[in-house]
Amino acid sequence: MATLDLTGIYKQFGSVTAVHDVNFQVQDGEFMCILGPSGCGKSTLLRMVAGFEMPTSGDIRIDSESVTALSANRRPTAMVFQKYTLWPHMKVSENIAFGLQLRRLPRAVIEQKVKESLALVSLSGYEDRYPAQLSGGQQQRVALARALVLEPKILLLDEPFSSLDAILRVRLREELRRIQRRLKITAIFVTHDQEEALTLADRIAVMNAGHIEQLAAPSEIYASPSSLFVADFIGAMNLIPGTVSGGRLMLGALPVDAPAGLSDGPVTVAIRPEDLVVLDAPQASAWSMTVEQISDLGYYRRAILEMPGMQSLKIFLPKALEAQERGTLHVYARRYLVYRDGNAPQEVVRGLPVSAA
Amino acid sequence: MKDDSDTLMTTLPTPAPRPSWRKAAIAYALIAPPLLLMVFLIFIPALQSTARTLTVDVNGTPGFTLSRYIAFFQDPVSVSNLMFTFQITLITLLVIFLVCFPLALYLRFANGRLAGAVQVLALFPLFVPGVILAFALIRFLGTRGTLDTMLSIAGFTGFRTPYLKPDAIVFGLVWESIPFTVLVLTAGLRQVSDALIESARDVGANNWQIFWRIILPQISRPVLIAFSLNFLGIFGSYTIPYLLGPAAPQMMGVFMQQTFGQYRRPDDAETQAVITFLICAVVGLLYVRTVASQRKQEQDS
Ligand SMILES: Nc1ncnc2c1ncn2[C@@H]1O[C@H](COP(=O)(O)OP(=O)(O)OP(=O)(O)O)[C@@H](O)[C@H]1O
Ligand SMILES: [Mg+2]
Repeated sequence: MATLDLTGIYKQFGSVTAVHDVNFQVQDGEFMCILGPSGCGKSTLLRMVAGFEMPTSGDIRIDSESVTALSANRRPTAMVFQKYTLWPHMKVSENIAFGLQLRRLPRAVIEQKVKESLALVSLSGYEDRYPAQLSGGQQQRVALARALVLEPKILLLDEPFSSLDAILRVRLREELRRIQRRLKITAIFVTHDQEEALTLADRIAVMNAGHIEQLAAPSEIYASPSSLFVADFIGAMNLIPGTVSGGRLMLGALPVDAPAGLSDGPVTVAIRPEDLVVLDAPQASAWSMTVEQISDLGYYRRAILEMPGMQSLKIFLPKALEAQERGTLHVYARRYLVYRDGNAPQEVVRGLPVSAA
Repeated sequence: MKDDSDTLMTTLPTPAPRPSWRKAAIAYALIAPPLLLMVFLIFIPALQSTARTLTVDVNGTPGFTLSRYIAFFQDPVSVSNLMFTFQITLITLLVIFLVCFPLALYLRFANGRLAGAVQVLALFPLFVPGVILAFALIRFLGTRGTLDTMLSIAGFTGFRTPYLKPDAIVFGLVWESIPFTVLVLTAGLRQVSDALIESARDVGANNWQIFWRIILPQISRPVLIAFSLNFLGIFGSYTIPYLLGPAAPQMMGVFMQQTFGQYRRPDDAETQAVITFLICAVVGLLYVRTVASQRKQEQDS
């Protein structure tokens, strides 16, 4: 049972600001993902929670008690690293037992706990193997067992599955989620893989250039990205530059509905591919565009559409819809977000034009 | 494979693999010269010497005898010199590790300007020949040497020079062994990744526990290599003990030289040499086993 509070966390490496004013709270039993592009400071943030890096300023509290001044070996956190970090000279059981031995637990208790934790990660019977005799996936499971056996208040994971192949990665993250739910342990999971974050997290903190851009549930991050960066980073998105003048919003030469009360000036309009619907006839409020390219992705197709005076758009097409390259499609945006100057976006939702119904 | 495969499809001519006996022959031809050199310059003379120490002339026919060895171990001077050599070697080794482990750990984990300077300093003795080092140490440690002068300026007059005492040998040998030992240990320590150390700290280990339980077991090979090679160098050392050490007892190198050159007893010198050689061979074997096990592990993984 544990909560984690970060207040005003900064981290400076020489002239590089790796983490910039991070503030958030992780609730008891919550699974939080930190998601962001390479080099945005995810690992640095996690390593400050673990105690491997000292924040330049700010406070880290676990269960309301500051741990900022504690060294890593005194913090109630346990970490699973990206690289394989089992100690090669110790057997699996010794790797897991090491932390317990440091806590001077009786031998019988240690043996019992090692056994239970191996069962938890489905590796019973692997006690006497050496790390070199395990596959990458098995090694990471042992690393997870080694972290969990200490019953940490906060479990930290830094891209633990990123060196595994895609199928194994999916399997292990499902297993991790199951274990985390069962133990109700508070966890922070760092990844640059948005699918991983969207499937695992209770909440996602999207990080960019050292700071948190948005912290919300996956569905909310997907539906209302709070900034252009998040809009672009999460999922497929069409970002179209536009201008507002006299209350009218122009995308290139085409007018679209503007949200109320928008003053004149440049904006960016974000449309998810799935919010573009194909009409069967041209409409004043729809765009007639040429199909540039169609890619078959199994149960749906992705197409790239073009028209003069407008940038190309990504769109998803159902299999049943007839479309071919060089053909024309009439598309209509039924929902979009309008961004201006780092402010929260304004949402526009439109009903379908009458004749399309 | 079928013979007609070439008629079914056009294949690029692949170079015929060299027969393995030819590869082996080339390899042996390449290593033959140094190997022969070693056989003729080292192994055969050593075997001949050893054989001579074990033979006695009985009316013109050679016979087997241990008398020379019995004489060596019954001679109190010989035995005390052998014991002294062991003593100096083990004490020197202990001091070397006490000095070099902190240095190597520092060089492994620190970075920046100071670490660079320490690195250069640690390697410095490598470029100083033993004789020069010995005279420098005499100047520094001798009566009215630099240290003595500095201490008396500071008002401390009780300084007794270690020059011509066993301590001076240890001092000189330690100084000579630092670069090699630091190099080997630092290279070994670099094999232990930061992540392995961090994960140990993460489960609660302090620096001391990390050193004993995580680092040391993983660098046992470099430690054994440093131990055995230093042992060989120290046990058979000559220059430093000759120039810095006492007249008695003597280390085996000095003892041999005196027996041979001053007392003109080449037979006894030969016996001393064989005994020294056998002791070193045991340690040499330890080294060979360590290196071989490392090689085997590298091949396995
Ligand atoms: N020890 C360090 N010394 C100097 N700069 C560092 C150090 N650690 C990280 N940085 C810098 O801080 C920034 C953030 O690095 P960090 O490793 O936290 O990124 P990340 O989001 O984890 O990236 P990735 O997805 O590639 O792992 C980078 O610019 C990096 O170069
Ligand atoms: Mg990282």
